[in-house]
Amino acid sequence: MTLRELLGAIAAGALALAALPWLASDFLLSLALTCLMYIGLAVTWAMFSGATNYLSLATSAFFGIGAYVTAWGFGSLPYALVVPLGGLAAAAFAALVGAGILHLRGAYFAVLTFGLGELVRHAITYSEKTYAHTVGRVLQDAPESSVVYWTVLLVAAAAVAACAAVRASRLGLALAGIGADEERAQTLGVDTRAAKITAFAIAAFFAGALGAAVAVRWTYIEPASVFNPFIGFQTVLIAMIGGAQTLAGPMISAVVFSLLTELLRLQFPYAYLIVLGVLLIVLVLYLPGGLASLVGRWRRVRA
Amino acid sequence: MRRTLLKAAVAVALGSASAFAGLAPAQAQDAPVRIGYAIARTGPWAAGAQITQEPNYIMWAEQVNAAGGLNVKGKKRKVELIGLDDRSEAETMVRTYEKLMGSDKVDLILPPWGTGANFAVMPLIQKFGYPMVAPTATGRKLLGMKNPYFFAILQQPDLMMDALGEFLKARNVKTAAVIHVDELFGLEQAAALEKSFKEKGIRIIEKKSYPLGVKDLKPVLNDIKAKNPDAFVALSYPPDTFLVTAQAREIAFNPKAFYASVGTAFPVYRDKMGPAIEGVMGLGTLNPKSSPAAKAYFDAHMARHKKEPDRWASAHAWAALQVMQQAVAKVGLDRKALRDAIAGGEFDTVIGKVRFRNGENATTPGVVSQWQGREFEVVWPPDRATAPALHPKPAWK
Repeated sequence: MTLRELLGAIAAGALALAALPWLASDFLLSLALTCLMYIGLAVTWAMFSGATNYLSLATSAFFGIGAYVTAWGFGSLPYALVVPLGGLAAAAFAALVGAGILHLRGAYFAVLTFGLGELVRHAITYSEKTYAHTVGRVLQDAPESSVVYWTVLLVAAAAVAACAAVRASRLGLALAGIGADEERAQTLGVDTRAAKITAFAIAAFFAGALGAAVAVRWTYIEPASVFNPFIGFQTVLIAMIGGAQTLAGPMISAVVFSLLTELLRLQFPYAYLIVLGVLLIVLVLYLPGGLASLVGRWRRVRA
Repeated sequence: MRRTLLKAAVAVALGSASAFAGLAPAQAQDAPVRIGYAIARTGPWAAGAQITQEPNYIMWAEQVNAAGGLNVKGKKRKVELIGLDDRSEAETMVRTYEKLMGSDKVDLILPPWGTGANFAVMPLIQKFGYPMVAPTATGRKLLGMKNPYFFAILQQPDLMMDALGEFLKARNVKTAAVIHVDELFGLEQAAALEKSFKEKGIRIIEKKSYPLGVKDLKPVLNDIKAKNPDAFVALSYPPDTFLVTAQAREIAFNPKAFYASVGTAFPVYRDKMGPAIEGVMGLGTLNPKSSPAAKAYFDAHMARHKKEPDRWASAHAWAALQVMQQAVAKVGLDRKALRDAIAGGEFDTVIGKVRFRNGENATTPGVVSQWQGREFEVVWPPDRATAPALHPKPAWK
């Protein structure tokens, strides 16, 4: 499939999903919203981390920055402006920090990116307390749930489209080159530093925009709840299970994982985590290439 | 390839959707009253939720069913609880309540645990019109939303802090040092405390804050010890309540009055700290000695869960269920009428008579409790006291 066809398919899929508010109940709509949120987070995470093998745990930090932009801006600025601003704030932060930490590799990079979430959380807590004399912020008159859904759909579709475009571009090749062997890529003349920072910032933009878009649903924004490290872990898990090297893998995985978690949670309110844990272990043991590798296997069997 | 994947995804989505639809039981004439809630069983909110709130829900439903069912305007119907894990996540919780109220159309809902979670359900209960009586939500901001369906049954910060101020003034305390957690709860309590202490002529000689999840408070405590205040107040959350107690004891900082906030009322605080906490004060509403109803509640909780309830918000959770129960007996399950009945009625509960004014519990006073032996004795106000106060606090053991 060429990039053009792929982008067309993404647009068509997004258009079809845009009809959901008229078809589905509130609950199914918010379930779809969660799926879309994790699609957006997982594909952009995979775009950077899957390709380069830089394991980033900074998703929660970016997501939380976006949510806080909503906390500050919503009410005085329109929702349609707050969402891209949340993305821009996260992207600016990622570019700034990325310039300082993207020379680290392996566990050092992972631990440092995890620390970013804590750093931002404490920085915001401190500044809110000192200058605003409060820590939590109340959001009133949130947009309709259908508006939030369309916004998240738009951001998620844009995220997938951006990842498809990156994969087909020189930047995508550079990232893959970094993942394969960073020194070699450097020797061959790739500006690895610029490539890494750009991709890191693009991923942060979408995580921030998603955080800004979703936060209006929570009425009350406080650092402890929006800088939830679980969101970052779940994103990594989804992308890995789906197959972080692919575009479709994290998407399928986000949907399967979100629906499966929800189904288990509702059907087995006490035991679902055990079931989920066992399923994850089985998946990792028997399907190391992720869900996306199933398709390849299936094709081989058919051929 | 993409088309195949898309098909697979759609199939999974449809399959799950039909599975969810299958969850809703058929409506029958004498179907049980379905009561839904989301609460933390996993994640950081679970500890508080599982000490203070959900055990009461379960015990209440069992007691009601054992007595033949819930009195719905004169007719007894069994109760069916639909309790789901919110994973300590706002998004999961909002989604679950959307399902309970929007898709399953349960008869009643019960609140989630914690102020933040209650905030997040606020717009939904107004949209779907479900009254909710919350035992673990405090803050003027919450009440400031003026949601007609929301009722806070726990004492608000100003009441609790003013009770402490009165208690200390009555014991001629002149100076105090305060530390608080940097969080809505800590900030609101600290503001209320400053206002009350000012009125009572108690001088605050030191005020420090610390972040959520702090691991060491010794430097702060050492500073405060050097200033030798009459009273020390920590507006703390459970982990820091344990920390500040242990570290004050370690450096032998023993002011005449020692107060810590959330968590002092937990039996596990006493069990973990041992006799060292003799004389430590904190947030609490009642204990088994408060009334025969309180004794019956503690005994039932002990018999059902093999553990004591905490001495503050647990009883409020139970009282919230009693409010709901009495209102349903009076007006049935019409939720608008139910809301009006809760807003306008007076209810007989384990924490005493309860009436609401503008969504706030208008009858339960601020209370100060103090550990003496194995009991968290109520020491203020005098008409609720279960024991005379130990003042000054004895030395740490």
